[in-house]
Amino acid sequence: MDPVFVWLEQTALSVWVRESPSMFAFPGILTLHTIGMAFLVGLTSAFSLRTLGFAERVPASELLRFVPVVWFGFVLNLVSGVLLLMAYPAKALTNPVFYLKLTTIALALLAVRALGRRVAAASSAPVPVWPKDHVLASLTLAFWVVSVTAGRFLAYTHSRLLASDF
Amino acid sequence: MSQENPISSLESLRQQLVLWLESTPAGDFVTAYTWAWPIAESFHFVGLCLLVGTIGLFDLRLLGFARQIPLPQLHRLIPWGIAGFSINAASGSLFMAAAPFQYLYNESFYFKATFLGVAGVNVAVFYLLFYRKIVTLGAGEQAPLPARIIGGVSLLMWIGVMCAGRLLTFYRPSFRFF
Repeated sequence: MDPVFVWLEQTALSVWVRESPSMFAFPGILTLHTIGMAFLVGLTSAFSLRTLGFAERVPASELLRFVPVVWFGFVLNLVSGVLLLMAYPAKALTNPVFYLKLTTIALALLAVRALGRRVAAASSAPVPVWPKDHVLASLTLAFWVVSVTAGRFLAYTHSRLLASDF
Repeated sequence: MSQENPISSLESLRQQLVLWLESTPAGDFVTAYTWAWPIAESFHFVGLCLLVGTIGLFDLRLLGFARQIPLPQLHRLIPWGIAGFSINAASGSLFMAAAPFQYLYNESFYFKATFLGVAGVNVAVFYLLFYRKIVTLGAGEQAPLPARIIGGVSLLMWIGVMCAGRLLTFYRPSFRFF
């Protein structure tokens, strides 16, 4: 993998994100990644809490109106995440914690999507909550906690920073 | 003519605060337990998600999103936002007590504190003046203009808190000068 890392690290985009003194480069992208996380994880967690019975008189189907905001958070974090990965590809891709983060994000998204589809398919409001929904909601919350923690731990668990000798 | 310069007395207060916080066991705690800081940071991020996910949701409804949701029902998620805030107040206090110099001599910290202060006043105004009108609003009902403004201010301030909080690390003072 090292030649790939070296090639990525030398691209203009990677160099800019990593080395630009501008606050809009690495610091700004990291900030956008935090804001996207707050909306993606926060709103889907609120949806999960609603499913678990907190604020159960909120029509769950109406909460689906926030799906565009969730998508906004997701796209923001996909783009900012790719840029952060471009800046330090070896740092993330040689760290098992990074794969834990990606896996738990994928699982959280799958769980919350299944939950959202169940709610959207139910014609009656208030939507009846099935035991299966409680499982999906709990899994969503648990996967988010693990992915957020894994993300934070990336700063402390990497064994390499760069593959190139600059 | 023996008046003290207010700037220098404020500066000496700040220095005393740094020295006092450094005398607490927080610094020793994070040194003794290597993972205490990253774990506290993870709590800080989870708390942030809870706060924005519930309080931000309520703010968006105040602003006019998903008007079919009755506001009093949505308000039942607010305790989770308060829980998130409490987690962050606790973890944030640990950071400040463990490394006071890098916060109290950091411009970004004062931006964050200002945004937090405005968010706090905003919340107080909301509960003192508008909460009783809001709790009667059912499905389809628009919040009155001042309440919508409060929702917008809240959302902006929490985004500001996140920005200044995340940027803190890039404005850390480079050396300890007292």
